[in-house]
Amino acid sequence: MTLSKLNRKEPPERRAVRKIELPEPSISTLPNGAKLAVINAGTQDIVKMEVIFNGGTRYQKKILSSQAAVSLMCEGTTTRNSNQLAEQLDFLGSFLQHSFDRDFASVSLFTTRKHFAASLEVVADILTNPTYPENELEIFRKKGKQSLTVELEKVETLAKQGFFQCLFGPDHPYGSFATPDDFDKLSQPDVADFHKNFHNLSNSFIILAGRVDEHEVKTVETLLGANSPGRRLGALNNSLPAAAQTPREKFTYKENAIQSAVRIGKQMVSRNHPDYIGLMVLNTILGGYFGSRLMQNLREDKGFTYGISSILIPYRETSVFMIGTEVGREVTKPAVEEIYNELDKLVRVPVPAEELELVKSQMTGDLLRTLDGPLAIADSIAELYQYNNMNLNFLDQTIETINTITSNKLQSLAISYFNPDEMVKSVAGAQPF
Amino acid sequence: MIEFSRHILPNGLTLIVHQDFSTPIAAVNMLYKVGSKHEHAEKTGFAHLFEHLMFGGSENIPVYDEPLTAASGENNAFTNNDITNYYITLPAENIETAFWLESDRMLSLAFSEQSLNVQKKVVVEEFNQHYLNQPYGDVWLLLRPLAYAVHPYSWPTIGKSPEHIQNATLIDVKDFFYHHYAPNNAILTIAGPVEPESTVELVQKWFGEIERRALDDKNIPVEPKQESPRFLEVSRNVPFNAIYKAYHICRRNHPDFAPTDLISDILSNGKSARLYQHLVKEKQLFSNINAFVTGDIDEGLLVVTGQLFPSTSFRDADESITSELEELKIKPVSDYELEKVKNRFESNFVFEETSILNKAINLSFYEQLGNAGYINQEVEKYRAVSTNRIMEVAREILSVNNCSTLYYKKN
Repeated sequence: MTLSKLNRKEPPERRAVRKIELPEPSISTLPNGAKLAVINAGTQDIVKMEVIFNGGTRYQKKILSSQAAVSLMCEGTTTRNSNQLAEQLDFLGSFLQHSFDRDFASVSLFTTRKHFAASLEVVADILTNPTYPENELEIFRKKGKQSLTVELEKVETLAKQGFFQCLFGPDHPYGSFATPDDFDKLSQPDVADFHKNFHNLSNSFIILAGRVDEHEVKTVETLLGANSPGRRLGALNNSLPAAAQTPREKFTYKENAIQSAVRIGKQMVSRNHPDYIGLMVLNTILGGYFGSRLMQNLREDKGFTYGISSILIPYRETSVFMIGTEVGREVTKPAVEEIYNELDKLVRVPVPAEELELVKSQMTGDLLRTLDGPLAIADSIAELYQYNNMNLNFLDQTIETINTITSNKLQSLAISYFNPDEMVKSVAGAQPF
Repeated sequence: MIEFSRHILPNGLTLIVHQDFSTPIAAVNMLYKVGSKHEHAEKTGFAHLFEHLMFGGSENIPVYDEPLTAASGENNAFTNNDITNYYITLPAENIETAFWLESDRMLSLAFSEQSLNVQKKVVVEEFNQHYLNQPYGDVWLLLRPLAYAVHPYSWPTIGKSPEHIQNATLIDVKDFFYHHYAPNNAILTIAGPVEPESTVELVQKWFGEIERRALDDKNIPVEPKQESPRFLEVSRNVPFNAIYKAYHICRRNHPDFAPTDLISDILSNGKSARLYQHLVKEKQLFSNINAFVTGDIDEGLLVVTGQLFPSTSFRDADESITSELEELKIKPVSDYELEKVKNRFESNFVFEETSILNKAINLSFYEQLGNAGYINQEVEKYRAVSTNRIMEVAREILSVNNCSTLYYKKN
């Protein structure tokens, strides 16, 4: 072996990712109108099934009713009480997860293939026949109130809430937040009504992923796809109000905080907008990976923080760009200044070619990683559905744009979208910035 | 069944290769058998600070991240009491880039004063963010020294205090590197769409010339048996009272580990588990309650943590937990309940194996315990646990004299 000839200074040959094959899901419509996407992938005998409803917090008339309706579905049905439901699913080794955000609510079942049919029978009962017993709601109130009170002790929670209140206004569906006292005002009919109106299988999107074949598909069709007359819901009242005029900065005082939480950003465009993918690239350059400008400047150069990042959060009709970090109290002011310097630089100076190449490699690698295993693939499909209405070409378009976008184009996007003067700023901590 | 092959290089590096063509991604996992338990009691937090310095450039490569990003790769690392684990995921065709980077930083670091100074600040901010500026964030800083009298598990991986991190010098850094970072103290696992033969050749090419090093052979003190109850009460600026109870348990490799872990599952794995059903839902004493084992390589802990409702006294909270634990000692768990927690363990275990990175990390973990093949025996080990064994182990560990109790009071 000629070890001495090994050149450690130069990197080995590497290849760029040019194309990504998303295993194409087979999509069908069930008799009741539900859409079903099936992805047969992976090496383990597992199944994940997610049912997504247009049931996010934006639709609630009473605050917390969306969260309660999805969280308490599994706390009792017309034929099983809370304890029986938990026992049956636990015994089958099945895991039930629920989630909700501004736009969507969803219920996910994780189970082994051998226990899929038995588990789905329980889940179908949960999805269609929940009773929302008052004693379960009372526990939800007590627990929810307490955990929210703890959350509100954290500077990151305070800064985030301040940020969205500045962006949309505190009464807007995207800018409002529950307080601990709101839990006491939530009634059983609030929750049951929300379920009746917004958790309708005929309007749902179901993703079935893992080692699945016609057998599992048939089970889903039978248990979740049957036509149930009279339960079909009309069009959703889903027009989003305009953002209110609000102050552009907010400082929330938190006694004794040794770090300040900072959130800076603005509303951007929806995922269907032609500029969106370019904005993803700009976001990555600024704060979307470990080597990003914000991370290099505020962490690796100055040691102000353990971490800083920026994200583009997609919503149904819009998106929000947000920079987030927790910094030492005494460096709050210089840290905020450096964030604005980086925004300004993005607008003034074209991204150097070398840096752009690097970011392209980062982003294509990230896309490839979203296809690691059936669970990751199922999540990618869910995202495509939620924000695109199932445009399966979105991945191809993303890769194409990433590979071809130029520094000039990025600068013109930065001029239109990243003007530092248009950003909203929210800080929570012991020291104003 | 996860198939793999094992190769030991002449310099002592252990290599595990697992082939999986169902993913486009390869995972490269490097486990170093060094964690915070190897630290000096006056220089704690060092193994973790060192993990940060491993990204500050190596002998021939000034920057670690950039070339990896250029190969569409991503990396991260974690440190715990026992090990430091570095991992990379990248398109399988670029795997050599990972070997080039990992081998150079095993060969030698750049050891820069600038990098040390910045990372000290970064780690202090991490300390602040996760341990000091969070409600209940300092619990492990309190509970560990209460539960451990002599074993270095008495401090958390982040360290005893930010001062220890601020005091680290470049001499400490070099010393630590040459005593712990060595091919003969590491396990490299490759998983993904790779050919084992050519992978072994590439590993040999990049790692083969790194020399063995003389490792730190300092003995880690054995924790003596706890003979009497320990108790600590603190007041903090938090909205609700909380209680923590820690019981000494066996080593990770001990035959009793599976029954011990199942005891914690009977108590709190899943919504139907005892603590949640009895103490949150029926008696409504806690807003949340949890039981888990630390799973450390040396003798670890079974910990019960609960946050009290405002109307609950510490006395009632403490007694209610104790009586749930007593129940396990006097009444055999039913076949049904034992079967239930085993079923949950099994499906959880299978789900862990659905991502290529998890498989690589787990193979390294089990190899460090003695044999990567344990990954294929784990479910059987849990299946074999009997009702009787659960009761015997519960009697052994769940005693007052083996317990450290922390009352975390709101101001």
